[in-house]
Amino acid sequence: MKESSVLPPRIEPAYSFPLNCSTNLAKGKFPPVCNRRGKMHVCNPCYLVSEDHASPVLLWDAYVFNSKGTPIKDVVIPDSAQKSLLLQKHCDYIASYGSKKDDYEYCITEYLRMSGMYWGLTVMDLMGQLNRMDKDQVLQFIQQCQHECGGISASIGHDPHLLYTLSAIQILTLYDAVDMVNVEKVVEYVRSLQQDDGSFYGDKWGEVDTRFSFCAVACLSLLGRLDAIDVDTTVEFVVTCMNFDGGFGCRPGSESHAGQIYCCVGTLAITGNLHHINADLLGWWLCERQLPSGGLNGRPEKMPDVCYSWWVLASLKIIGKIHWIDKEKLEKFILACQDEETGGVSDRPGNIVDPFHTLFGVCGLSLLGNETIKPVNPVYCMPEDVIQRAGIRLELL
Amino acid sequence: MVWFEHYFGLCIVQHGRIKVKTTAEQQEAKRKEREKKLKIYNAGTEAVFQKRKNKEFDEEGLKLSGELLGVNPDIYSFWNFRREIFIDLQDKREEAELQKLLQDELHFLEACLKVNPKSYGAWHHRCFVMDAIPEPDWGRELHLCNTFLNLDERNFHCWDYRRHVVLRSNVNLDEELQYTTQKIQSNFSNYSSWHYRSKLLPVIHPDSSHPVAVQEDVLLKEFEVVQNAVFTDPDDQSAWFYQRWLLGRGQKKLQICCVHVSRDLQRIVVLLSRPVMMGQGHCLTVSIDTTPVAGKWRTITGSRMYSTLWVIDLPDQSLPVDKQASIAVTLMDDRYCTKFSEGLQLMPDQEETWAVAEFKQGSRFSTELSAAATSTMAQELESIRELQSLEPNNKWVLLTMIHLMKAIDPEHTKYAAELEESFNKLAAVDTMRKSYYWDLRSKFLIESVLESHDSKVRDVKLCQRGLSCLYHTDWMVLVTSIDLSQNYLKSVRSLSDLQCLRSLNLDNNQLADLQGLAFCRRLTDLSVKNNSICNVEVFEELRTCVFLKKLSVAGNPVCAIEDNVTKICALNKSLQVVDEQDSIG
Repeated sequence: MKESSVLPPRIEPAYSFPLNCSTNLAKGKFPPVCNRRGKMHVCNPCYLVSEDHASPVLLWDAYVFNSKGTPIKDVVIPDSAQKSLLLQKHCDYIASYGSKKDDYEYCITEYLRMSGMYWGLTVMDLMGQLNRMDKDQVLQFIQQCQHECGGISASIGHDPHLLYTLSAIQILTLYDAVDMVNVEKVVEYVRSLQQDDGSFYGDKWGEVDTRFSFCAVACLSLLGRLDAIDVDTTVEFVVTCMNFDGGFGCRPGSESHAGQIYCCVGTLAITGNLHHINADLLGWWLCERQLPSGGLNGRPEKMPDVCYSWWVLASLKIIGKIHWIDKEKLEKFILACQDEETGGVSDRPGNIVDPFHTLFGVCGLSLLGNETIKPVNPVYCMPEDVIQRAGIRLELL
Repeated sequence: MVWFEHYFGLCIVQHGRIKVKTTAEQQEAKRKEREKKLKIYNAGTEAVFQKRKNKEFDEEGLKLSGELLGVNPDIYSFWNFRREIFIDLQDKREEAELQKLLQDELHFLEACLKVNPKSYGAWHHRCFVMDAIPEPDWGRELHLCNTFLNLDERNFHCWDYRRHVVLRSNVNLDEELQYTTQKIQSNFSNYSSWHYRSKLLPVIHPDSSHPVAVQEDVLLKEFEVVQNAVFTDPDDQSAWFYQRWLLGRGQKKLQICCVHVSRDLQRIVVLLSRPVMMGQGHCLTVSIDTTPVAGKWRTITGSRMYSTLWVIDLPDQSLPVDKQASIAVTLMDDRYCTKFSEGLQLMPDQEETWAVAEFKQGSRFSTELSAAATSTMAQELESIRELQSLEPNNKWVLLTMIHLMKAIDPEHTKYAAELEESFNKLAAVDTMRKSYYWDLRSKFLIESVLESHDSKVRDVKLCQRGLSCLYHTDWMVLVTSIDLSQNYLKSVRSLSDLQCLRSLNLDNNQLADLQGLAFCRRLTDLSVKNNSICNVEVFEELRTCVFLKKLSVAGNPVCAIEDNVTKICALNKSLQVVDEQDSIG
């Protein structure tokens, strides 16, 4: 048995943060830590949130040790964390996000604009306030992003790619306006990226990834054109990416990752091939993503992150095992990731919010049964009513 | 919509950025600084796009796009531009010059990856460069992977690149296996290495007849490697997940397990050993008295999913009353060109007949273990028990014990009590996943009951077993009577598989609906006392159960309204709600 008097070595944190920066907390003022042999041992408390409270609130984004001295990467949620859902604030946050067109962050994220718009618009629809967004401007922008080859780019001037083609089709489906682009050419573009082994390139430059299989299949099914590709080989390729733990990776041989699992499970769901999945084995791996804080990580021994409330939870929902995680604890974690000042949701409590995590936080709560949010479809990450309107009915396990 | 584990310094999808309270002054200073940065950024971006538009594929293009990619490697169009430059230069420059340029590109990429080791774009570009460079040095690439994996042994981009390098340069896979051993020895908690092992072993030591496709002696040795790890740190999940794989079960061989013929329903139901889709590589045919029967095979519920159960509705008068019929069912597997047949006789006085494939006891849901495997498993169980005495509350230890006991003794005869105790303890020490443990326990219980039954047993008792869900209902296709009372069932959807079911007891469960029972068309007696059924509409599900005569509904919220019982009775003429008296009382 491992027995040492010194603390285990530092693990690389997501970000380090100097203690003397904007805080008057000195090391001595940290709450006492438990004994090493005790249940939990918290050290290196370097992240803090807000000084508005009478006594400063600390969030421990760091090292929790179990009784054997094994570090568990997790956070501790303080009692003062937000416990109710601030929907209106999130709506205001998203509505104002796109209006700051000269903002630094907005400009330097141009290379993923189409997906950014999909995140924002989808979460607005789920919160019932899609009408606050400028529909005409969005549709016009998408039209401008379609290229001669049929593919759609992240923004004007950038190159077409499957990732952004899917985002664009998702937005157009939200607005029931797929005819705004040349659908035949989109179908042709997606078809052209399929390889003999069934895999998909992300674009003409040849990167292969199961994310792109999902993009292709999701996109074509939203357009009612799954017949355009070879579905059998698509499925065969995805199945070759299955691993010893029941999960899936980027390519054959790659390690399982919750995001990749979502893509593969989604692809199999859309094509009616969920029987390939060992639901008991995969479900076990997925429910083991839940950490003591209630949050979910994407791989063993990683930090929790709100976006996995989507990738993990949606996968569990699709394979019929969503009840294998502790719903209350996860809900508590997601709610603690809200920013009560600005609105929006961040990856972990106390971090900076963004539209990506806002969407996946809200979607997670929807899957957990929150009735103030529209039901979300676990395969498409879009409102269920939109998927129904598109005439799509998938059978899940 | 699909990005994971971004490691952006600068973008919207930021993971792990801490929010810090700043003063108005600080904010103003930051705003100004950002304004300045933005100007530079915008000017740079514009310059790159302009050059690209003008098709100026030169070193300046590399320099300009490089400045921006160095800061943000996710501007994917700029990587594309660089590739266009290199492709253009390929015909214009001498080989030595090209070699130099691409070597510089590799150095540039290393700098990018040091800042952002998880950039999809940068790693993919490296593959492109290695393909384009006149004299690739793959050895150096492998070394680079070592360096990056020393910095972060879980970087899946780097592991993937490593596999790419290994494939391209024909690295000896034994050396790769040694590398994972080394990595695991230096840190057991290295899921990526365990994963890589699971991929290497079936290639280095293949055995297609084994459930996990690895030679048994090699596999049994792996137990030792795992044991070292779990004894060092029993809380580390990596080794435990790997061990579960070692205990894995393979895919079952396709075969016909059961055929049921019903004269009055003019119907044949077939159970296969694994799910298939008719028409997609598989085809079932049936002939009566050697005449092929026309008809379409369907799943029980009409679902379009792959299924183990397939039904064919025979044309009228295919099985006339009082007449003997000899029936043959054949399954064709196109892929392996194999054929399985099952023949059976329906005697004149029979309403139904069936045929069941013989299975060795204990082999229906588990793989038979060889003598070597059995002894290894037994030793394994002994040492895990030892560990358990040191770590009585360790969930991984408990769960592994359960799996080992199950592997050694699929019928639960030897370890029944110990299993039960372990499950109870597990659910107590790991409450977050208790539903998973209860479901697993239900699965094992049902398996043990089905294994212990002769397949001709048509009356199954699973009452008061603490079942939280149902498994293997397809194997109960012949069952006519089942008692599932006093469990924790929330859904009975899968009971639709029980195509011969006549009598069903679901008393004292947690059912709010009866979905699935619509397909149990033979049902005559149903009891759903003391469940959570709230409204009358739930019983609409039973409208297709035309033989249903007795129904007990007492103790459900729906009974609170007197009228409701009358409404339920109206479902079909012969139906009697037998506990009417109780419910009013």
